[in-house]
Amino acid sequence: MAVDVATSSAVPAAASPARRRAPAPASLAGYAFVAPAILLMLVILVAPVLIAAALSFTDYSLGNPGFDWVGTDNYEKMFSRSTYTKMLTASATYVLVVVPGSIGLGLGAALLINSLKRFGDFYKTIYFLPVMAALLAMAIVWEFSLHPTIGLVNKTLEAGCGTFLEQISDWYAAGCARNFPLWFGDPDYAIWTVCFIGIWQGFGFNMVLYLAGLTGVPRELYHAAAIDGADSAWDRFRLVTWPMLGPTTVFVLTITTIRSFQVFDTVEAITGGGPSKSTYVMMFAIYEKAIKHNLIGIGAAITVVFLAFVLILTFLQRWLVERRVHYS
Amino acid sequence: MTGQASPFTEALKHAVLIIGALIVILPFYVMVSYSFKAPHEIETNTGGFFGAQEQMVDEYCVKLGNAREECLETPAIFNYSQAFKKAPLLRYLLNGVIVTASIFLIQALVAVPCAYALAKLKFWGRDLVFGLVLVCLLIPVHAIALPLYIMLAKVGLTNTYASLVVPWTISVFGIFLMRQFFKTVPDDLIDAARMDGMNEFSIVWKVMLPTAIPALLAFAIFSVVAHWNDYFWPRVVITGNRDLYTPPLGLREFRGGSDGSDWGAMMATATIIVTPLIVAFLMAQKRFIEGITLTGMK
Repeated sequence: MAVDVATSSAVPAAASPARRRAPAPASLAGYAFVAPAILLMLVILVAPVLIAAALSFTDYSLGNPGFDWVGTDNYEKMFSRSTYTKMLTASATYVLVVVPGSIGLGLGAALLINSLKRFGDFYKTIYFLPVMAALLAMAIVWEFSLHPTIGLVNKTLEAGCGTFLEQISDWYAAGCARNFPLWFGDPDYAIWTVCFIGIWQGFGFNMVLYLAGLTGVPRELYHAAAIDGADSAWDRFRLVTWPMLGPTTVFVLTITTIRSFQVFDTVEAITGGGPSKSTYVMMFAIYEKAIKHNLIGIGAAITVVFLAFVLILTFLQRWLVERRVHYS
Repeated sequence: MTGQASPFTEALKHAVLIIGALIVILPFYVMVSYSFKAPHEIETNTGGFFGAQEQMVDEYCVKLGNAREECLETPAIFNYSQAFKKAPLLRYLLNGVIVTASIFLIQALVAVPCAYALAKLKFWGRDLVFGLVLVCLLIPVHAIALPLYIMLAKVGLTNTYASLVVPWTISVFGIFLMRQFFKTVPDDLIDAARMDGMNEFSIVWKVMLPTAIPALLAFAIFSVVAHWNDYFWPRVVITGNRDLYTPPLGLREFRGGSDGSDWGAMMATATIIVTPLIVAFLMAQKRFIEGITLTGMK
C-alpha cells in the first residue's frame, strides 16, 4: 500500500525561500487547499472505521429505531458458529493459495521473460491482459469455460480419453470413467477453482512489478558471483537475484494479500458462497449477512476483523522493510 | 542474465511461456468466439472461432407469432444486437463513463490542491495533515463498505449516482502521489509565479498542474481502470434502479436472467464491456503498466 515509500519520504521539506514573501496568504491558502481533503478523509475513511467498531458490539439493523449493546456476542459467534468458521477457512485458504501462487508465477514469468533474447514484450502484454479486464466479466466467462457439460475445458479433457493420459493419471482415468469435475459445483473443487481464477487474474500484475525490480539488479553482481564460483542459474538466483528483489517481494506480498482478502466478484457471480459454504469468503459474507440480510452487527464484526488483518499485515510489512530487506 | 543460453534452453523457455499464454488467453478466446456463435454451435463446440454464421431462427421471434422466414438471423449480428436490445446496455455504458469520469475529476480537484499545500506551503499543522493521509492509506475502501453503506442509507442516498461516486471522491493515494511529485518541482518556479502576481489558486492549476501531467495521467489510468471494472461497490449501493446500473452490474443481471438460450448475447455484452480498456491498454501499454503499478493498490 505504498506506505513504505511514504515513511521514507516523510522528511520535512527544506525551508523554502518563499518565506520572505508574505507568508500569511500562502498559509491561508494552505488551509483552504487541505480543508476539503481533511473533511472527506474524516467523513469517508475515518468515521466509517469508528462506526463499524461501534456497531460490531450492537444488534443494529437498518430501519430499526434503536439497538441494544450486545457486548462481544458478534465476535463470539464469528469464532464459534460453523458458518463463520467456514468463512474464515475459505478466506484463509484463498489467501494462502492465491498469494504464493500469483507471486510465484509472477516471479517465474518475470525471470523467464527477462532472460529471453526477444519477444519478451509479447508475453508481458498477454500476461497483463487479465489485470485490465473486468473481473466480473471474466468470472462469468470462466464459469462457461468450466461448465461441466458444454464447457471448453471439460470437452477438451474428454477428447483426451482413451489416450495415454488415462494410463499415466488415475485422476484422468476416473474422469473418463464417470465424469470430469463439476469445478464450481463440487465442494472439493470449488474453492480451488476460485483460487485458480484469482491467480490467473493477478499474477501478471506481480510479474510487472518484478520486471521493474529486475531492472534494478546491477549486472556486475552477477559477474562478481560468477567469480566467486556461483555457476549454476540456481546459484545466481539464490545469491543475487532473490536477495536483490527483497523489497519488491515485500511490496508485492502485502498488496497481493490485501487484495486476496477482498475477493468478491468471482464468488458472488459464480458460486454464491457455496457449495456448502466452501467459498464463503469474508467480503461475500459481509455483503450477504449485513447488506442483503440486514444483520449489521455481525457484518460490522467481520469488517473489524478484516481491518485488523490489513493493519497487522501492513505493519508487518513496514517492520520487514526496515529490518531485513535493506541490502543496498 | 549472464551466460549464453543455448538455442535449446531458449526454445524451452518459449515453450513454457507459450503454454502460459494459452491459458491466460483462453477465457478471452471463449468470450469473443462465443459472442459470434449460434446457440447450437456453443452447445456442441463446433464452428471454430467465428462459427459457421449460417442463418438461424430466433425462436423468441417465432413465439411472438412471426413467420419463421421473418425470424432468420445471422448469429454474430444477432448476438450483438440482442446485447443492446435485451438490456439497455448503452445506458449502462453511459453510466460507466459518467461514474468513472466524475470520480476521477473530483479526486483530482480534491487531491491536487491538497498535495500542493502539503508539498510547498507552510502552515501550522501541515505535518499533522500529512500524518492523517498516511493513516488513511491503510484503510481499503472496500473493507469499510458496510459502514459507508449505512451512512448513505441514513441520508437516503442509496440508488443514486452520488452513492456510486461519493465514497471514492477522496483518494489518499492520489494526494500522496501528487505530493511526492510536487516536491520535486523547484521552488523558484513558484516564487517567479508569485512575483508575477499570481495567487495561490492559479499557481496550483496553471503552474503546478502542467508540470505534473505524467503523474496525473498515471493516476487517471489507475482510477479509471479500477472504477470501470469495479463490481462490488455498485452491487452494494444500487439495489433496484436499473437506470443506474454500471456495465458490470448490467452483465451480472444478464447472467442472472439467462435461461441458456442467450449465451451468445451475454458473451457479446462481456466483450463490449471489456474491450474499451483492453484496446486502450494495447495502444498505450507503457503508460498503462506505469499507471497500474505505480499506484499499485486497489
